[in-house]
Amino acid sequence: MRDVMVIGAGLSGLLAAIRLRQAGLSVALVHKGRGGLQLGQGTVDVLGYRPQRVARPLDELDEFLADQHRASDIAHPYAHTGADAIREGVGYLAELLGEDYLVGDAEVNVALPTAVGALRPTAYYPPSMADGVVSLDPAKPGALRAGSAVVVVGIREFKDFTPELIAGNLALNDLPGGGRLEARADWVSFPARDGEVDSTGLNIARALDDPARRGALVDQLKALGRPGETIALPAVLGHEDPTAFADLRSQVGSPLFEIPVPPPGVPGMRLNDRLTRIAKEARVEVFLGSNVLGADSAGGVLQAGVVGTTGHDTHLKARAFLLAAGGFESGTLELDSYQKVSETILGLPLAIPAGELIHDTWAGQQPLFSVGVATNDDMVVVDPATGEPVYSNLYAAGGVLAGAQRWDEKSGEGIAVASAVRAADAIISNLAGGQR
Amino acid sequence: MTDLSVDVVVIGGGATGAGVARDVAMRGLSVVLVDRADLGQGTTGRYHGLLHSGGRYVISDPESARECAEENAIITRIHTDAVEQTGGLFVVTPEDSEEYSEGFMAGAAKAHMPAEEITIAQALSREPRLHKGTKRAFAVLDGTVDGWAMVWGAVESAKEHGATVLTYHEVDRIHRVGDRVTAVECVDRKAGGRITIDCRFVINAGGPWAGRIAGFAGCHDVDVVPGRGIMIAMNHRLVNSVVNRCIYPADGDILVPVHTVSIIGTTDVKADDPDNLPIPRNEVQQMLDSGAAMIDGFREARAVHAWSGARPLVKDNRVKATDTRHMSRGMSVLDHLERDDLHGLLTITGGKLTTYRLMAKRIVDIMCEQLGEDRPCTTDQEPVPTSRKTHNYKVTHRLEERDHQFQEDQIICECELMSRQMFTELAEENPDATLDDLRRRLRLGMGPCQGGFCSTRAAGLLCTNGIQDSAGATLELREFMKHRWMGLWPILAGAQVRQTALDEWIMRGTLDIDHAPGDENPPERYPVGVPADSEAVEVAR
Repeated sequence: MRDVMVIGAGLSGLLAAIRLRQAGLSVALVHKGRGGLQLGQGTVDVLGYRPQRVARPLDELDEFLADQHRASDIAHPYAHTGADAIREGVGYLAELLGEDYLVGDAEVNVALPTAVGALRPTAYYPPSMADGVVSLDPAKPGALRAGSAVVVVGIREFKDFTPELIAGNLALNDLPGGGRLEARADWVSFPARDGEVDSTGLNIARALDDPARRGALVDQLKALGRPGETIALPAVLGHEDPTAFADLRSQVGSPLFEIPVPPPGVPGMRLNDRLTRIAKEARVEVFLGSNVLGADSAGGVLQAGVVGTTGHDTHLKARAFLLAAGGFESGTLELDSYQKVSETILGLPLAIPAGELIHDTWAGQQPLFSVGVATNDDMVVVDPATGEPVYSNLYAAGGVLAGAQRWDEKSGEGIAVASAVRAADAIISNLAGGQR
Repeated sequence: MTDLSVDVVVIGGGATGAGVARDVAMRGLSVVLVDRADLGQGTTGRYHGLLHSGGRYVISDPESARECAEENAIITRIHTDAVEQTGGLFVVTPEDSEEYSEGFMAGAAKAHMPAEEITIAQALSREPRLHKGTKRAFAVLDGTVDGWAMVWGAVESAKEHGATVLTYHEVDRIHRVGDRVTAVECVDRKAGGRITIDCRFVINAGGPWAGRIAGFAGCHDVDVVPGRGIMIAMNHRLVNSVVNRCIYPADGDILVPVHTVSIIGTTDVKADDPDNLPIPRNEVQQMLDSGAAMIDGFREARAVHAWSGARPLVKDNRVKATDTRHMSRGMSVLDHLERDDLHGLLTITGGKLTTYRLMAKRIVDIMCEQLGEDRPCTTDQEPVPTSRKTHNYKVTHRLEERDHQFQEDQIICECELMSRQMFTELAEENPDATLDDLRRRLRLGMGPCQGGFCSTRAAGLLCTNGIQDSAGATLELREFMKHRWMGLWPILAGAQVRQTALDEWIMRGTLDIDHAPGDENPPERYPVGVPADSEAVEVAR
């Protein structure tokens, strides 16, 4: 019997598992595949748009939630966690990872260039993106400001990063404090493996983990850079070696930053690997590649998770359960061909917005993606029809929660860490109470 | 002002118009083909891709069946790059009565169409996913055809024989002097401006829009009833040969393997406006149910895209106008000399993609007779320029090409194995082409990711190659994703929802495309079906 079974190893599952373990509880972390961190860009978003760009996410949270409440019958996850849990969660994550992995401030957003040359708001970011920061606070200019010169450099062997598109658009953005950036495009060549013309970002990042391979890139960057220019590269500058970026930057000798690219997202993988290592060092029991097929319950209490293991199903008993398995992107939530939505692991009731779930314009905010499980303020899963807990010891966190439009709001990581911390703390307090 | 002067103007760049233009050019007459949008953007491109063996018509219309069988062989020979020789099956599913199948072999013999009945075991060994309760199976020579490749092949051939092709040119006037057509006037939708083309003859191959075009010449009441049908592309080839239900022609009775997908179709509902064709949810459900009758587990398979096309059927007084299935499926020629006392205009509608060449031959024969020209048809004699190789298309052909150049070129669209070179060559040849225009020829964004990964790369290449600036490329990207969505949202279910979530994560979450420079929700740049003097065109100028 474990104290807690956590289902899912994305940001919320990993963070909750570590926090529970650090409180002295035994934790089984069961997950089917690698978590969602590697799909993201390695930043920690709290709230980026509501729908106008957000400069101070926690100060603007109440207004955001009031608008949400007016627009939807489903509560936003932040309505349960509140600003305090966001502060607590983001702070806890930043402290766990340290400044080599994350820097920033939950109170103040910055904007970072994207791979189509937009300026995207976020709260925390890896140090490898620091030289690309555009401040949203006119009083405090960021690394890039009006008149800053940027050279966006593509790698010929890497197709998910087009410097002409990015530089052209970057130079078209009006900066928050007025003025624009100057941006131009250039190219280097860096075959990740001999003769490879079509490399994934991960292959290039792995090649750059080898200090001996970096010189070839450094030489080209030094040759193309002009005095005073900041260099922007795709976010593929080293995977496992946490010093790879700093070494490259110091060898090139100019400001240098990474721009996130579509998956596999190397900055997200760095966070994922680091958190997984912390979890394992803390002796979280990790069950990788294990499908949770269902659960045993009695009297409104979950008893055991049924885990698909070789040859037979394993009934893994625990005192509390945390569902942190993600939403539609991970397959936890599913829409079948009869247009019925379901939660595929435990068959939980779902909060579903009224009206059509998918609208006919490609404009974001598809109601379908706000479907999820409803919870109370302790993140205990409740039946949306009655508000009563489905099981007294089942909690949920992260992308499976109802009520958010994570990709439009830029709120995914904030929701993940706030709900993970809130759920973990409720579990810790409830299990301690039970023991007494 | 006169900009061009030719013998013949062909209006409509679908299969029919392309076939007519090729035929006219091969007979040595000068010809201009105009279309208000891209080639094959109407009914031809909204098709399930079946190259009929004739099996569909052996009982209802033996003459059609014989024509199909003959034309199938010709098209397979002259359009090798567009036609895959898949073979086909007619199956009696557990839900179908065996009555229709009783007459199948006799009908095939009468139509001189090759067919044989095979055992259920043989059918299952050919198509292992066939429903286990299948009652009878007949093997026929159905094939599949890429409508776009066929149209582009025909057009390349026409050009080789001297034809001029003007896409995104919308006709809005047909000049006549007395009882004679003298010129056609169009709006250039991309570059702006107007051109006038003097001609001796006009062939109206406007498909569902033919009635409106005839009206420009003062020939009214040409009643073309658009019969709307939806089609759904399923991820993967659930079958490797065409599977037809062996029943009287009905909705959802055919599953066609085309390229990397298989397409189920279709419905048939009278439409009011061929420019506004919905994909109703109930018809999607009907298609999925019908697929499940033919193929085990069909509902659990992944639908990747849907579209809606309009059959152009000329109203026939013998049946009610609302019942388009029982109208004549053959071609229908309106001779405006006979009908309206107007020299120099023929309207052709209806017919089948399979018999496009034969239709063209027949109408050009009529035209030559009216013009007093003795020029025989030779379109069955030579392969089109894109087909001058020995073998027919195979689904594995891009894989084979990839094998030869994987160390030289990048794959931009993994789903469809479209390489960087394929894309940049075509984009540079056609600098005006939208990403959607390029898609029809390259299959960009037509696989499972529906543009989630490849569209940003493609937009980037337009920029790198100097075809678009960054704002123009961003507009292309947004428009492309908007157009993909039209065929995605009606069928979203299962794994395709998961893909869509990932695409949303990439496009909105990571790239923040909604906040890149340019209009977040730009208006359609080349709207079809908008009157030529409307505001949209004024803006385009």
